[in-house]
Amino acid sequence: MDLGKVIFGFFIVLSLTLNVGFVLGEYSNPEHHSIYELFTVIVVNFIATGLKLGDRSQVGAVLLATSLVADFELIAAALHWTFAVHISDAGMNPNVMSTIVSLSGGALVANIISVVILVAETLRARL
Amino acid sequence: MKSSELNRVSFIVMRELRAPLMTLLIVYSIGMLVMTFIPGIEIDGEVQHLSIFHAFYFMTYTATTTGFGELPVEFSNAQRLWAIICLYVSVVAWFYALGSIIKLFQNTFFLRALAEWRFTKSVARITGPFYIICGFGDTGSVLVRGLNDAGMNAVVIDSNAERIQALSLRSYRIFVPGLCADASVPSHLLDAGVSSPYCKAVVSITNDEAVNLQISALARLLNPSVCIITMSKAHEVEDTLATLGGEIHIVDPFKTFAKVLNACINKPAFYALNNWLVGSRGASLEVYEQPPIGHWIICGYGRMGMEANHALNLNHINTAVIDPHSRRRDEEIETYIEGRACAKTLKDAGIDHAVGLLAAADDDGQNLSVLLNARRLNDDLFTIVRQNSHQNEIAFNIANANMVMQPTLVTARKILLLLIAPLLKHFFIYLLAKDAGRDQILEALITRLKQRLGHKKPFLVTVNFNRSEGLELVNCLEAGHTIFLGDIIKDSRYTDKALDLVPFVIKSGDQEIILPTDDYKIKIDDQLLFCGTVEAKQLFKANINSEYTLFYLRTGKYPAVGYFMQWYESRLRKKNGNNYD
Repeated sequence: MDLGKVIFGFFIVLSLTLNVGFVLGEYSNPEHHSIYELFTVIVVNFIATGLKLGDRSQVGAVLLATSLVADFELIAAALHWTFAVHISDAGMNPNVMSTIVSLSGGALVANIISVVILVAETLRARL
Repeated sequence: MKSSELNRVSFIVMRELRAPLMTLLIVYSIGMLVMTFIPGIEIDGEVQHLSIFHAFYFMTYTATTTGFGELPVEFSNAQRLWAIICLYVSVVAWFYALGSIIKLFQNTFFLRALAEWRFTKSVARITGPFYIICGFGDTGSVLVRGLNDAGMNAVVIDSNAERIQALSLRSYRIFVPGLCADASVPSHLLDAGVSSPYCKAVVSITNDEAVNLQISALARLLNPSVCIITMSKAHEVEDTLATLGGEIHIVDPFKTFAKVLNACINKPAFYALNNWLVGSRGASLEVYEQPPIGHWIICGYGRMGMEANHALNLNHINTAVIDPHSRRRDEEIETYIEGRACAKTLKDAGIDHAVGLLAAADDDGQNLSVLLNARRLNDDLFTIVRQNSHQNEIAFNIANANMVMQPTLVTARKILLLLIAPLLKHFFIYLLAKDAGRDQILEALITRLKQRLGHKKPFLVTVNFNRSEGLELVNCLEAGHTIFLGDIIKDSRYTDKALDLVPFVIKSGDQEIILPTDDYKIKIDDQLLFCGTVEAKQLFKANINSEYTLFYLRTGKYPAVGYFMQWYESRLRKKNGNNYD
């Protein structure tokens, strides 16, 4: 067992599972989507991205790319939330919520790809 | 070179199209100019004139017989009169121009210049080592196919347009540019890239010995460092070629065959190995074919019969020769029967007590009929038959002789091995040496190959441990680490399994290490020849080109991947004070 692989796998899978948790629920119902969940998804995603930095292999490059995509979409979702609640007068409403959920849904797909690559890479080396 | 080809193409275009283009220009300009001068109809008391733009528009649709009508306004009768003249003259001028263009595309000089230009362009686009193959007959096509399967670039020149057509219809993994031209003309060899630093060898295997000689000499003049490989069946030519200097290989299919026959009699295991490596049909490491010792009959005493006779005599085998030509004086042959091989002559040659028959005439029909005749008279014969033409493959397959000798195939395989596995020669010399214990080594090798490869197709692979073929390996060696051969031939997917390959030779400097062991320390610029499956070849290349895999193979540990883990590990190391790796 390799400690590095454990830490790596832990954060990548955690970011996927938290992401699923946030997206689950009625699409446009603000009561079903917690701001704290979004916050943890973003933090965990950042940590996962950080762990992927510096890998010079081909697979490492693709893993980093998927992580960056997820970061990008989650930040967009967070900005949209902030804008709706604090800057414009609209406040939280189903329209805003559906946009946030679809953005984090996109991040979810990127996270799934990330986990699939991780699993495939691990299975390739049957050590 | 490239620009001169382009110049020739553009020159022909200019010369052929000058007159029609000038005609069009004059007709258009006069038509347009006059059209603008002629007054049109009056609208609101103002006489309408066509502008230059409108006149050009009018000429365009008139000359091409499109005929949109009178635009932008109705014409006056004066304009209509001029329009009639314009129409007839410009339409004729257009047809003249079109005809000239079509004629240009049928001009053989133009087509040839275009083909040469395209060929030069595709040769210039090759950015790795490549080989020039002059002559795309039976030998050439087997050779190009083999090079293609090994992932190598080849360029073909053949003077026969049909053969070049055949080349373009083959399905190759790597594109093979072909030119229909005489390869003994220097400019064509230059087009094929003989002076390029990527050009590794010029292979001249046309049907004409004189042409082969000429190509070889030219290639040596144009590129003193290129390797020259040629096919020759005459001694005089061989002597001339040997004086050209530099690396030069002369392949004589009959001599090669005689060597193989000799090896087959003395070391049947070697013959089986050789056949299996070159991928002969039905070759296997399980059964060894061994020609029996006794009385042999040779039908057809040409070059092949002669070489085979020498090989048999060397092994103290009695031979009887049947040949329609009269005996040459300087040779001592016990039984020489003049005439065509038939039941009577075969009986005279002692078919009833013969053990082997060699049908070596340069006529496939005759060889097959001799084979059938002889079998009728004595069905325990060991038969060797010469197949001259690839087209008769099916007939020879059915005839089921013990050995089929196809000169074109022998040549092609020999050249292919010279190109893709130059170290194999040293390996074979080692195996064939008469030293004690070599037979056991050979047997052990065959057992090992059977275990490793089983029934899979063997591939001979040459790998140079340099920056372009094994970047990470070189980086690792330069960092001062020791890498054993045993490390890089492991299967990185399992902890204790090796790849399905057997290393044959390592060339290190001027030294050749035959059958290197796992504890051989790799040095930069070593050259390795191994025999393995296609999968093993891929995985081996991945092993020496991936930093992380190489680290794992070397140390058995996972490398720290990513900046964070590297930082964490270096901290851990400092704390524990242990030096890792």
